[in-house]
Amino acid sequence: MSDSPAAAVRTDAVWKIFEHDGIAVEAVRGVTMSVAPGEFVVLAGPSGSGKTTLLNLFGGLTRPTRGRVWIAEQEISDISERRLAQIRLERLGFVFQAYNLLPVLTARENAEFSLLLRGTPEAERRQRVTALFERIGIAGLEDRRPGKLSGGQQQRVAVARAVVGEPALVLADEPTANLDSASSDALLEVMVQLNQELGTTFVFATHDTRLMERAKRLIHLVDGAVASDTRR
Amino acid sequence: MPASPWWRIGWRNLGRNSRRTVLTATGLAVGYWSVVVITGMADGLVADMVRTATGILSGQVQAHAPEYLPDRTLYETIGGAEGTDVPALLHAVEAEPGVLGAAPRVYAGGLVSSGATTVGVLLLGVDPAREDSVSRLAAALVEGRLPTPGARELLIGRELARQLDVAPGGELVVVAPAADGSLGNDLFRVSGLYATGIAELDAGTAVGPLAAIQELLALAPGRVHEIAIRIGDPWAAPGMADSLTRRLSAAGAGPIAVRPWTTFRPELVDYANLSSGSMWIVVLIVFAMAVFGVANTLLMTTFERRREFALLLALGATPGGIVRAVLAEAVALGVISILLGVAITVPVLVWWHHDPIDLSRLFGDFTMAGALVRPVLRTDYPLSMCFYAAGALLLTALLAALYPAYRATRVPPADTLAGR
Ligand SMILES: Nc1ncnc2c1ncn2[C@@H]1O[C@H](COP(=O)(O)OP(=O)(O)O)[C@@H](O)[C@H]1O
Ligand SMILES: [Mg+2]
Repeated sequence: MSDSPAAAVRTDAVWKIFEHDGIAVEAVRGVTMSVAPGEFVVLAGPSGSGKTTLLNLFGGLTRPTRGRVWIAEQEISDISERRLAQIRLERLGFVFQAYNLLPVLTARENAEFSLLLRGTPEAERRQRVTALFERIGIAGLEDRRPGKLSGGQQQRVAVARAVVGEPALVLADEPTANLDSASSDALLEVMVQLNQELGTTFVFATHDTRLMERAKRLIHLVDGAVASDTRR
Repeated sequence: MPASPWWRIGWRNLGRNSRRTVLTATGLAVGYWSVVVITGMADGLVADMVRTATGILSGQVQAHAPEYLPDRTLYETIGGAEGTDVPALLHAVEAEPGVLGAAPRVYAGGLVSSGATTVGVLLLGVDPAREDSVSRLAAALVEGRLPTPGARELLIGRELARQLDVAPGGELVVVAPAADGSLGNDLFRVSGLYATGIAELDAGTAVGPLAAIQELLALAPGRVHEIAIRIGDPWAAPGMADSLTRRLSAAGAGPIAVRPWTTFRPELVDYANLSSGSMWIVVLIVFAMAVFGVANTLLMTTFERRREFALLLALGATPGGIVRAVLAEAVALGVISILLGVAITVPVLVWWHHDPIDLSRLFGDFTMAGALVRPVLRTDYPLSMCFYAAGALLLTALLAALYPAYRATRVPPADTLAGR
């Protein structure tokens, strides 16, 4: 099933080696894997095991040293920056650990950002964001700037922004790392629910054990390579 | 229209560090202020100088027979040998809006002798009643009184009086080639002395009543060489000369050449150009400084926001979008600066126009380009500079934003978001 041609993301023997003062750091070492649409995947592993680098390879934020990456069956390893930006805009959603939102934009403006760049008409943007905010429990906060939102609320706005354009894949790097446990649980609930109700594909990098518990598929990375890949 | 987010982001970014924004905008506004006000002062000073230089004698516009200049031939009177209806001509000139005064004149070369000494002079015949509305000769009177209309009296420069060793009340023999081919020859009495500070006037000119000088030169009362004209705004002189040419031809004054001071006092034009040329150097310096100020501010802000630019790039924004956001911020900064600049400039322009800074207590009067100038800085309204400076300011802000904008697009998203 993981080799299905319609994979949300797929890699073939992908490597990422950083050169640092003449020392080579092998952050990702020959990872071959595939994530099917609708999966809820957690990349787990100790700090420095290559989780972030692998997510960045998936998201076209880092170019592989060797090997290939496909997003929705479009190979992205060697395409132009322009094309890559377009694929990120149309196919991917990102949730980062922090600095997710533009402070000068309201919650709504942040959430509809990718729709705005895609040229989605105002009425549709409005309706989609309103519905999503309702769904994930932040209705009524549309006009607040991020500075007037709690950490948990901010991360939900980031999740809303990531899923609003119905991407093939949402990449979330430690989305709960800066949250207290109640907010973490609530955010996790939101993402599980989006995965179940809308079928949004999620790939997380985390060492949050609660997130790991909810994973339908748990991939352990050790020293940049896949140590185990289990489905539940 | 699916509103582009870049303007919104750029504009709102400006409000984030309002102290820095206010400081930068104030800097630019002060730059705008200094450029416009200095230009206004320079324009005012030059206009004043032109007014003074042309106001002593020549006037700002002059009408002659077409062939009169440059030789100032005695026979080339307005309307030819028949002369013209001088009162009607003056009336027509004064009917032109903007004309403040007009005076008829005759000129001739001659000799004046006090018995012991003889000196070659320019004889100038004026209508004493009208001359005051054009020139400030009367104001330069330092001794005695003005000539009585029609009387054989002369007003001469103090330096000339010294050379001739005469005082008011003294007699002079005046000899001049007349229009009928004879040698005009008359006895004149010195009515008074003037001092303008201009050597050729003070040492080489004798002024008498129009009728008396015409009689000496065998010129009929209808024959004059020049109508000297005073107007309010010296910069309007060329246009005024054109419309007077049309008006006087239409009034049937015959062939007539009307010239502005820019033609008959070219040295004043050179001076005005020099002054506006140096203005542009000031403009350049001010805006070059502004470029670095704005560039510095924007470099700091874009550096502080590199995480946000990384986020935008990660989300799929193009470098072009990032550039637009930074440029939008610069344009917004420029517009705010212009508004602030205009707000602090206009009141000062109005104030210093109506209540000019008087430096004469510091410096006294001084002579510039052969003209007596009072150091009173009456600012003019440099309208075109107001617009040029605003355009330059906007351009400055945009230019200064180019490099920071480019830098913002070069932020590596993955490393920057990881805090590397
Ligand atoms: N841009 C980079 N330059 C040099 N080394 C890097 C860079 N990014 C990641 N690394 C190194 O790659 C390894 C994996 O890092 P990362 O993917 O961030 O791990 P994780 O997210 O699991 O903590 C680490 O040793 C890290 O120091
Ligand atoms: Mg990481």
